[in-house]
Amino acid sequence: MEKEFIRNFCIIAHIDHGKSTLADRLLQITGTISDRQMVEQVLDSMELEREKGVTIKASAVRMLYRHSSGKEYELNLIDTPGHVDFSYEVSRALMACEGALLVVDATQGIEAQTLANLYLALDADLTIIPVINKIDLPSARVAEVAQEIQNLLGTPPEEILAVSAKEGTNVEKVLEAVVERVPSPRGDTSLPLRALVFDSHYDSYKGVVAYVRVFDGMIRPEDTLRVMSSGIDFRPVEVGIFSPDMRPVSVLSAGEVGYVATGLKTVSECRVGDTITSSTSPAAEPLPGFRHPKPMVFAGIYPVENEDYERLKEALEKLQLNDASLVFQPEKSQALNFGFRCGFLGLFHMEIIQERLEREYDLDIVVTAPSVEYEVVLRTGEVVRIDSPALLPDEGLIEEIREPWMVVQIFTPMEYYGTVMDLVRRRRGIFREQEYPAPNRVQLTFEIPLSELIVDFFDELKSRTRGYGSMDYHFAEYRPGDLVKLEVLVAGEPVDALATIVHRDQAYHKGQALVSKLKEVIPRQLFDVAIQAAAGGRIISRANVKALRKDVLAKCYGGDVTRKKKLLEKQKRGKKRMKMIGNVEIPQEAFLAVLGLEED
Amino acid sequence: MTVFSLYLHIPFCRHRCAYCDFNTYSGQEDLIPAYVEALCNEIRQVGRTAPNRLPVHTLYFGGGTPSLLPAEAIGLILETCRASFEVLPDAEISLEANPGTLTLEWLQTIRRLGVNRLSLGMQSAHPEDLRLLERQHDFFDVSQTVRWARRAGFENINLDLIYGIPFQTLARWEATLERALGMFPEHLSLYALSIEHATPFYHWVARGLLPPPDDDVAAEMYEKADAMLTQSGYLQYEISNWAIRREGRLWVCQHNLQYWLNEPYLGFGAGAHGFVEHLRTANVRSIRAYIERLQTPAQLPFPLTPATEQTQTIDPLTEMQETMMMGLRLTQEGVSRQRFEQRFHRSIEEVFGPTIASLVNLGLLEWRGERLCLTQRGRLLGNRVFMEFVDISAP
Ligand SMILES: Nc1nc2c(ncn2[C@@H]2O[C@H](COP(=O)(O)OP(=O)(O)OP(=O)(O)O)[C@@H](O)[C@H]2O)c(=O)[nH]1
Ligand code: SF4
Repeated sequence: MEKEFIRNFCIIAHIDHGKSTLADRLLQITGTISDRQMVEQVLDSMELEREKGVTIKASAVRMLYRHSSGKEYELNLIDTPGHVDFSYEVSRALMACEGALLVVDATQGIEAQTLANLYLALDADLTIIPVINKIDLPSARVAEVAQEIQNLLGTPPEEILAVSAKEGTNVEKVLEAVVERVPSPRGDTSLPLRALVFDSHYDSYKGVVAYVRVFDGMIRPEDTLRVMSSGIDFRPVEVGIFSPDMRPVSVLSAGEVGYVATGLKTVSECRVGDTITSSTSPAAEPLPGFRHPKPMVFAGIYPVENEDYERLKEALEKLQLNDASLVFQPEKSQALNFGFRCGFLGLFHMEIIQERLEREYDLDIVVTAPSVEYEVVLRTGEVVRIDSPALLPDEGLIEEIREPWMVVQIFTPMEYYGTVMDLVRRRRGIFREQEYPAPNRVQLTFEIPLSELIVDFFDELKSRTRGYGSMDYHFAEYRPGDLVKLEVLVAGEPVDALATIVHRDQAYHKGQALVSKLKEVIPRQLFDVAIQAAAGGRIISRANVKALRKDVLAKCYGGDVTRKKKLLEKQKRGKKRMKMIGNVEIPQEAFLAVLGLEED
Repeated sequence: MTVFSLYLHIPFCRHRCAYCDFNTYSGQEDLIPAYVEALCNEIRQVGRTAPNRLPVHTLYFGGGTPSLLPAEAIGLILETCRASFEVLPDAEISLEANPGTLTLEWLQTIRRLGVNRLSLGMQSAHPEDLRLLERQHDFFDVSQTVRWARRAGFENINLDLIYGIPFQTLARWEATLERALGMFPEHLSLYALSIEHATPFYHWVARGLLPPPDDDVAAEMYEKADAMLTQSGYLQYEISNWAIRREGRLWVCQHNLQYWLNEPYLGFGAGAHGFVEHLRTANVRSIRAYIERLQTPAQLPFPLTPATEQTQTIDPLTEMQETMMMGLRLTQEGVSRQRFEQRFHRSIEEVFGPTIASLVNLGLLEWRGERLCLTQRGRLLGNRVFMEFVDISAP
């Protein structure tokens, strides 16, 4: 199609403001999918996403739309992941577009993520079309939210669309606005090929399927192509579009969105943000902005049963096929045996991986408390990077420990100002500035160590603000801190998987809290079990789990042997799920005990 | 020769005790006549389909509250059993009774009809315990029932007691034990209170109205009881059971031994369980459903009856596991190496060698000659042992 009849756009929204519902409606109105095919939320195709209510993988759908002028347009809707951990992916998806629908829930108004994504969209020079959704709800505050948007973007109220994605009200107008307001893509078909990879998935027949936006030139299935950063050449298995299923086409030309089935075996050979060009007449420069998003959060993942190690490895490999930002390498823990040290983009990414391992791969796993990557400067001047507290060198060898600091934006109703400030202070945060982008809302900006953020911070924020607070964060820099290793000894043996690195001022308090928490979760054993916390070589807290005295069915069930057995089976299952450390049985939740430590 | 046991379930109670989750119902006493008829019917059907006239050495009326049955009904049931099976002349015939539900005359009648062992639900001597448990009797009812039972000629009396009751102190438990011992029962069953799902206790504990039982306190009570009972001449022969040595005999409960030795028994009545010919059976639990099912005659292979709701075939390995799990409850007898081998034609070590070795290592099991037994400490940690003999690999 001629470029002037193409529109590439995405939808940005805070979680649950209705992105998927609106996308469904658009697909329906344009006849891209029939009502019968209309399974709820096509774009969120993974079960997990639906349950978590968050879009994890982006996708791109081509719709054909006949405008009231009678002309037919090709509209490419590019879905964007909805969480801060994936902001790099979001930025790449945005780069593939010329316009964005900014969906705001009429009952909630603007939220932190709305802002975060909006700023990304503005950075990418996109035309923003504000859409207020859920106007069918009695609690909708359309005028107020329109005012918020106007304050933010300067959009006059009459240009702000008010829709109900659920009921379909005014959704047609959204399509009209896309045609009328979003510019058609630029780009020159005669230049050498440059196509941006903004997402990908792995297909066992077609290899890595790269989702692309062609900026210059054309892609034809018979061309030999090249991934610019890695220099890998390949003959595409297929070139096509999503409508919404994969459909082969004979050409994708500048301005268009579609896919290239590369036949490559791993997504890391063709990463998001990379540029695909022709290998016979390659472009001189790749498209700007390519980088490797680095894992920020690390945790050990271990099988509960040692014999599941291979299965775990295979599962991680499979997940990695679709997720280039997941990294892992084998790790051995004294306590937990063989497992993997895994790196994630953020805490949320980690949760997703954990759930998929458990649910899709049916694995029983233990995940250790998450850690960040520290830079440790040794007395010798050497700098080592450490993502597992257990590996921290002896204190005497260390000159300085540096930890990653983040810039955090918290967006909350005014009334929670005090409690949010308090939370941030407790987590070693430093206040930077505040803004009032919307009436009665405040956006607070802080600097905070990442290690403080990954331990329950978001849950705590949610609970302190009764669910109204939202946040966004990004990396700032590494800074030195007065940090020590907090070790836990069970029955006299240090348990590597329970070690953490904490600020010296918090060591005593955290050590105590950790010990009493462990005392609660470690069940009584056949013998007394001592639990101790140590920092800087000194024991700072101790407790004793007394030996179990009675564990017997001393009740009469007559001839009902089946029932007796059921009770024993249940008990045995519970016992089996525990990890043996020395001869102490430790339940999985103990390894996450560090997470749930009391705030005060 | 294999001898059998018969269990007869009487699922009626005047009032449901607050901790009880047995298959029993209150307020349905008007169904008693129809129930007794159905029960006799079930007994006759099994008698007819049995491969031969089965020799029976124990009968047990359990409940519920069998003492709510009129004496004639007991007579009728016994008569039916004798007509359908070869009830041996010296068979142990037990009946569970609740103090306060019966009279001297009733006891005399059932004694004459052949009941020779009485098991009384005493539970506690203390009014506060009894009130909390929602028992419908006091200590006086218990002592009077024991006196009447002796007068009616019962030489074999058991008292059931409960320990680990919320708010019960060690001193109060000792007082209960003393009172119980003062009545010179032949047998004592001591059960630790456990909080069972869907009982009032369960809800009270969940809502924080009642402290959950404390295992340490219960352990102390158990040890105290063992010391007192031993001193009074009782021998612990099972985790929860003690029998006296009197008149040259140890007054154990033969019927319960049948379960622990994993020997065959037939269960009659609503919710009753049976185990014969490698088959575990369970009857429908509701009284009405039970009565209804037995109104339509059906020709079913032994040991099934129209009331059978579930059956489970026990394969040889499972039977070996169950034999261990049950047999190790017998604190004196344990599991005999010889008997095991005679029964299964495999040696106990061949089947369970490593499991046993590790439990011996942990100090929970010990060999006493050719018998494998729980250690003193193992008695209170029995689940840790039994658990090792159940299989959780199957779904
Ligand atoms: N009443 C009403 N509810 C809506 C409307 N649009 C969406 N919803 C509901 O709001 C919830 C969230 O909608 P989604 O479309 O899943 O939101 P989302 O932004 O895609 O959320 P993520 O996938 O979590 O990013 C769902 O329960 C929808 O049914 C609307 O116009 N009116
Ligand atoms: S008398 Fe026995 S069977 Fe009846 S409710 Fe009480 S405890 Fe349960």
